Amino acid sequence: MSSFDHNPIVEMRNIEKHFGPVIALNGVSFDIRPGECHCLLGDNGAGKSTFIKTMSGVHKPTRGDIFFEGQRMDFASPRDAMEAGIATVYQDLAMIPLMSVTRNFWMGREPIKRVGPFSFMDFSKANDVTMEEMRKMGINLRSPDQAVGTLSGGERQTVAIARAVYFGAKVLILDEPTSALGVRQTANVLATIDKVRKAGIGVVFITHNVRHAMAVGDRFTVLNRGKTLGTAQRGQITPEELQDLMAGGQELVALEGSLGGTV
Amino acid sequence: MKATLKTLAISAVAASAMMSGTAALAEGERYILVSHAPDSDSWWNTIKNGLALAGEQMDVTVEYRNPPTGDLADMARIIEQAAASNPNGIITTLADPDVLSGPISAAVDAGIDVIIINSGTPDQARALGALMYVGQPEYDAGFAAGQRAAGDGVTSFLCVNHYISSPSSTERCQGFADGLGIDLGNQMIDSGQDPSEIQNRVMAYLNANPDTDAVLTLGPTSADPTILALQQMGLAGDIYFGTFDLGGDIVQAIRDGVIQWGIDQQPFLQAYLPVIVLTNYHRFGVLPGNNINSGPGFVTADALDLVAELAGEYR
Amino acid sequence: MSSTGATVDERIKETSKLRKALIRPELGAIVGTIAVFLFFIIFAGDSGMFNAQGVMNWSTVSAQFVIIAVGACMLMIAGEFDLSVGSMIGFAGMSIAIFSVTLGWPVWFAILLTFAICIAIGALNGVIVVRTGLPSFIVTLAFLFILRGFTIFFPQLIERRTIIGGIAERAAGDWLAPVFGGKVGGFFFDWLASQGLIAVFERGTRAGEPIVNGIPMLIVWALGLMIVAHIVLTRTRFGNWVFAAGGDAQAARYVGVPVARVKILMFMFTAFCATVFATCQVMEFGSAGADRGLLKEFEAIIAVVIGGALLTGGYGSVIGAALGALIFGVVQQGLFFAGVESSLFRVFLGVILLFAVILNTYIRRIITGER
Repeated sequence: MSSFDHNPIVEMRNIEKHFGPVIALNGVSFDIRPGECHCLLGDNGAGKSTFIKTMSGVHKPTRGDIFFEGQRMDFASPRDAMEAGIATVYQDLAMIPLMSVTRNFWMGREPIKRVGPFSFMDFSKANDVTMEEMRKMGINLRSPDQAVGTLSGGERQTVAIARAVYFGAKVLILDEPTSALGVRQTANVLATIDKVRKAGIGVVFITHNVRHAMAVGDRFTVLNRGKTLGTAQRGQITPEELQDLMAGGQELVALEGSLGGTV
Repeated sequence: MKATLKTLAISAVAASAMMSGTAALAEGERYILVSHAPDSDSWWNTIKNGLALAGEQMDVTVEYRNPPTGDLADMARIIEQAAASNPNGIITTLADPDVLSGPISAAVDAGIDVIIINSGTPDQARALGALMYVGQPEYDAGFAAGQRAAGDGVTSFLCVNHYISSPSSTERCQGFADGLGIDLGNQMIDSGQDPSEIQNRVMAYLNANPDTDAVLTLGPTSADPTILALQQMGLAGDIYFGTFDLGGDIVQAIRDGVIQWGIDQQPFLQAYLPVIVLTNYHRFGVLPGNNINSGPGFVTADALDLVAELAGEYR
Repeated sequence: MSSTGATVDERIKETSKLRKALIRPELGAIVGTIAVFLFFIIFAGDSGMFNAQGVMNWSTVSAQFVIIAVGACMLMIAGEFDLSVGSMIGFAGMSIAIFSVTLGWPVWFAILLTFAICIAIGALNGVIVVRTGLPSFIVTLAFLFILRGFTIFFPQLIERRTIIGGIAERAAGDWLAPVFGGKVGGFFFDWLASQGLIAVFERGTRAGEPIVNGIPMLIVWALGLMIVAHIVLTRTRFGNWVFAAGGDAQAARYVGVPVARVKILMFMFTAFCATVFATCQVMEFGSAGADRGLLKEFEAIIAVVIGGALLTGGYGSVIGAALGALIFGVVQQGLFFAGVESSLFRVFLGVILLFAVILNTYIRRIITGER
């Protein structure tokens, strides 16, 4: 893996995000390079969600800089980030279950076919591309009209990933894609991540499951209480060490003491 | 039935032609009464009962139809629909001539006999080509009441008009004045709808005009506060008091002797008589020569027991 | 569900053609329509319900429902309700009457101005819902009262009555009025009558003319709106956004769908449909009343739900809603022809509603994999 030869696609430096008196992020630095899978680990409430929302343009950082391909960027909206090439697949908001796979796949970027003064959605193109892209990811759809609700959780994540890849994502942010899945489906999603990485896309893989992270990660960054506890490369860290970092190490012990052993 | 299905399968148009032919051959006359009242209006129960009784007595089929929410546009559709079912006659109210005159005159033109009841006027009924009008012409009712009051020695009065924007309310007062043989002048007051306002205006008028002989109210809305006003002024039972329409407090006041009479438009007759008239017209070709006034029927203390007993059913 | 692997594909494909043809959002409404027509052919087949006049009667009533159901359907798929439709009908009719009769402005101008005002109110509904995030149920409930209040207040203030007539005389010769109140295809009915296929008037000024002398513009509007809305919803990019906005507004926003704009436009479309309804009614009857359109919002929603749309949005069909409206209209008028006591109408309607919703839920679960 030659991922470190490249310059980062996205680099976040000393990001701070305050919500009123609450400091959600307190100086987080993170970068992602083409063709790597960079795992972002952290317990619930560590600030993972806030961080990826900042990266994908939903939140504006209170302090700190975001560089995209070396240029300083200010994303005004998710749409801006998306157009730059940062695609986000949210854990529960990935897909609309009532709508067909094709409609989901093309949502927001529907192909247009003009007939006289009217423009229609080009369904034959949309269906063909959807079937083809899904086949590339290893899923054979019954029909492109099939509602997403009839797919398994892993397949839904795969549709969302295939969509992001097809529309030219340079960075793919996956928000806990494996958290609600069974063993086999998790394996499928991890295999998909591997395919995407090999296509030269930078994958940000958010999880709190160390085993899933170790399975595909090239680098690992641990977030705890709004701060990064450091970034490690594959092979430089053991799963046990990662687990300890996530739990907060010494801090947790101290906290336990102050609460009189009730935690 | 089989034939109908088959015909429909061949052609809807041909089927419709066939069935409009067969409908005329149906035995027993069929009459439809269409009202403008919403389901919730219980006053019309009397109409329904009168209709059913007439149907039973004359051995004809009768149907009652109304727009569930009281929407007059829906009522127009119901009249069109009634005409499409090709009955022998339609009995309908004329709540809004603008909306209803089209469907009614279409029914008349299609050869269906129509009688207008309750709302509307004899003139409007004639203009639409209806056979007759059965109801209480407001002016005539007021006039009859005025004549009755004149017979009781009344020479001046106060008309408490709670619905001055409605022309029929004013006609009631005008008729009463004409029946008395006096000028209406400023003996009619615009009382508004609020009970305490009505009460105060009646008191103010009677204080300013102490020699007023009689009070006429146009329905429970103005009658009930007027009863209170008269009781406060000590005039209850002393001043001559007549009212249009009946209601709980009005019946009690008649019983107590505060109100001399209530004018009942007798809705029973508005449903019952048209069925009788239409059936006899269709069977024997006989038709009364004029419109029928279902009211005014005067309810006095003497007839009160029958009214109370049959209230909501036939009265 | 997790067994939907590649190996199962072949087995499912065996039945997919039949299933695909049958299992669609409109299935419940199609079954309902067939059932309702069978019922009335059996019980009211020879009552005049299926002669030219009878067909025109229930078609017109159904067309009224279709017009408002199409608007309500699009809005419901976009995830919102409009409870102010009925009041909007009364308000729009009264607005035309006041502008044309009381103020004496040309009828075409009164109609266009009314459309502008009502669509603006629809937009206001939408903006309030989108900006505040309040349930549209509450916001439009407020407008139900506000609009109805104005509809009673203005004519009373200006004309001292709540019914304004005389619009028919004002509309005579107007170029726009026939688009709403006119009839088309008269020559066809003349021909049918000359062939003895439909009945003619027996007496009066119109003796010899066919009893049905054209298709009301109301029906033309209903069909037109239905077709346009169906194509927009199923065949265009905007239609996809409507589904997305109602299916999951947040997910749609994340992929760049302008959810707020879609929803506001759908509120405007619903207002447009209500105004079409009102204009057709006013032009046909020549008067506007303060009580017009009472409870129509619920009738529209019922038709849409019978048609298979999901109350929470994101799923539904315009064709289904139109069939729901047809069922509603045919049942309402047909019970009369079948000689059923009119107060039982609501019972019948309730049974149909329940039956349709249960069937629709079952179908929807098959289609969408909901559990």
